Order: sequence, then structure tokens, then C-alpha cells
Amino acid sequence: MTSEEAHKLLHAYVDGELDAAKTLELEAHLAGNPAARAACERLREMSAAIRDRADYHAAPPALAARLRASVPAEPERAARFPWGQWLKPAAAFAAVALLTWVVAVQTMRPGEDEGIAREVLASHVRATLANRLFDVASSDQHAVKPWLSARLPFSPPVADLSSHGFELRGGRLDYVGGRAVAALVYQRRQHLIDVFVWPVEEQKAGQTLTRDGFNIEHFAKNGMRFWLVSDLNRNELSDLARLVAAAP
Amino acid sequence: MLPHLDAAYNLARWLTRNDHDAEDVVQEAALRAYRFFDGLRGEARPWLLAIVRNSCLSWLQVNRPAELAGFDDRVPEPVDETSPETLAVRQCDRRMLNEALAALSAQFREALILRELEDLSYKDIARITDVPIGTVMSRLARGRRLLAESLQAISNAAAPQVHR
Repeated sequence: MTSEEAHKLLHAYVDGELDAAKTLELEAHLAGNPAARAACERLREMSAAIRDRADYHAAPPALAARLRASVPAEPERAARFPWGQWLKPAAAFAAVALLTWVVAVQTMRPGEDEGIAREVLASHVRATLANRLFDVASSDQHAVKPWLSARLPFSPPVADLSSHGFELRGGRLDYVGGRAVAALVYQRRQHLIDVFVWPVEEQKAGQTLTRDGFNIEHFAKNGMRFWLVSDLNRNELSDLARLVAAAP
Repeated sequence: MLPHLDAAYNLARWLTRNDHDAEDVVQEAALRAYRFFDGLRGEARPWLLAIVRNSCLSWLQVNRPAELAGFDDRVPEPVDETSPETLAVRQCDRRMLNEALAALSAQFREALILRELEDLSYKDIARITDVPIGTVMSRLARGRRLLAESLQAISNAAAPQVHR
């Protein structure tokens, strides 16, 4: 590979968009080429600077409230008569649009039929939509763990990861794969992450999926199965998966 | 919390660069999402963001037509071999970075926002911005380079001048 070819591929490499064959080729080139390595490092720093320091403009609560408030008590009727003169047209539009939006997200079919991925994703979306995030709201692992243990036939590991930028917000009980499971809720910036936990026999290597714009990570370790679901980006979700796996 | 509402608002806010206008655009996008619901294929977030982007373009056309030029340049620009030093990137604070990003031409700004803040794939960005994947790659490359240069310029201007 020439330096020119390598330079062209660097952005795709840093963005994780290069196929396996080209990645190997480029990494071989980087190994023997300090200047290209430095260029690669510069790109990573640029990317990290934007991710860390650019403002993420979350929707103002007033906007969300305005959209939510326009959902009528009987959505079917609003959908059937969106043009009714007795309804303010703007409110009707917003209501139907909102309804469609929600339905679109909930009924989208994932690429493959993977029962658990669909169940944990559905649970995550349902919890955030209905704003029923936790049954026990606490940032204290010593409050969340006993609460869950008292209600489940097992004791889920609950780690304090605030020093790594993942705040524990609480926990809830959920039902996945035909069994009661623990769901731990962490927060990073404005992103909520559900960590579903239940006991299993076997170990399992990690895997990452993307469904409907949400990222999902799952693995099994120390007799526990873990499924992580969030709209957080893949890299940071993987960081959390590693931290959860490494926690005692 | 509505699904992807934050993503919709973030994109609209970065494209209009104004809170109030972004709210208008997102409401308009919700209306279009309803009208184009039959067109929904694949994942919801890129689909929705494509509608938000179109709403931004329509809004700008009516209210600030001069800014549309920033989206229009479809000629991929050559990427220079030389790169600016990293120091300015490493040391820039939030304010400097946000200013530099907001000042970028719209085509580079939107590519970087979708890539770095929404963590979308080249394929999704191509779909949302309605250009080939190769154009997405060259816009990201050019945008990162322009941003680094602009941070360098800001940091030079901010540095205390030494007179002999």
C-alpha cells in the first residue's frame, strides 16, 4: 500500500468503516510508518474533541411537552378525523405526526429475528416512552442491589461507575425471555442505558448489534447474562460493557 | 421522552444555529414524518433525520436563502496532505470548538454532526444528506481539516502577542 492510498483510507479507518481486509492492510502500513501513525492519531484527537466538547442540543422540555400534550385521549378518533373543524389543525397534525412517530419506532421490524434483542429493545423504548424508568430511583448501589435482590430469585451485580462517567440512576424489575430479570439504569450525558441482568450457566463472548438506531451489547460472565441497550454511541456503550464485565 | 426527539432537535439546532428556529423546524418535521410515513424503509432514526434535514432546507429557503449555498457544493474538494498541528485541537475549550463548528460551511457541519454526535454510519449519512458515500467521506475529511485549521487560527488569535 502506498502512502497516498493509506492517507485516503485513514478517515474510514478511524470511523470504523473499513472492511477487514483493508483494515489489516492499513494496519500493516501504519506499523512501519510513523508519519502515517501520527496522522491517524491527529484524526482520532479531532474526532474525540468534537465528541467531548461540541454541544449536544437536547430537545427543550417545552417542545417535548408541547408535542406530548397534543396527543388526544382517544388517539384513534384523532387519526380518523384529523381535519375536523372543531380541532385546531395544528394540534391535529402534531398529534397524528407524534402518534405515527411513536408507532413507527415501536413497530419497526429488526433485520433478523432475535427474540431477546427485540424484547430488551422494546422494554427500553417502552420505559423511556412511558417515563417509567425505574422502580427504585437511587444512585447508591447499596440501595439498588438489596431492593432488587429482595424481589428476584438472584442477586444482580450493581457497580458504581460514576468515576467513569456512567451515573447509576436506579433499577427496575422486568420480564425477558420468559423470566423475571433485573434492569439497571445508567446515564451518560443525556443518554439512558438499560443493563438487563439474569443468571445463566455458560460464559459467552460479547457481541454488538444495532436495531432501529439503538445500540445493543450482550455477553455472559461470572454466571450472569448481561444485555445493554441505549441510544448511546457504540464506542461508549462498549466502554460500559467492559466496565460492567470487569466489575467485581 | 419521545424516541429520537433529541437527535432531531440536535440536527435542526446545528443546521439553523438558533434555538427558536430549531423548534419550529422540528415541529414541521413531525408533520412531514406523518405525511411521508409510507416512505419509511429501514431504521427510524436516519429516516427521521432525513426529514428533519429537508425541513431545515425548506425553512432556510424561506427565511435565510443565502445559507443554502453551504449545502449545495457537490464537488468533492481535494484533501491536502499536510495536517495542522494537534496542539490547538487538544487545547481548545468548548466555546472555541462550538464556534469553529458553527462557522463551518453547512455541508461539512452536517456531516460532522451526524458522524461524531449521532454516531451514524457513512451509509446513513449518505442517505440523510442525499449524496454518494464517496462524497460523505470527502466531506468528513475536508470538514475535519477545516475545523483543525480554524481552531489553529482561533488559538493563534487568542494567544498573547509578544512584542520585541
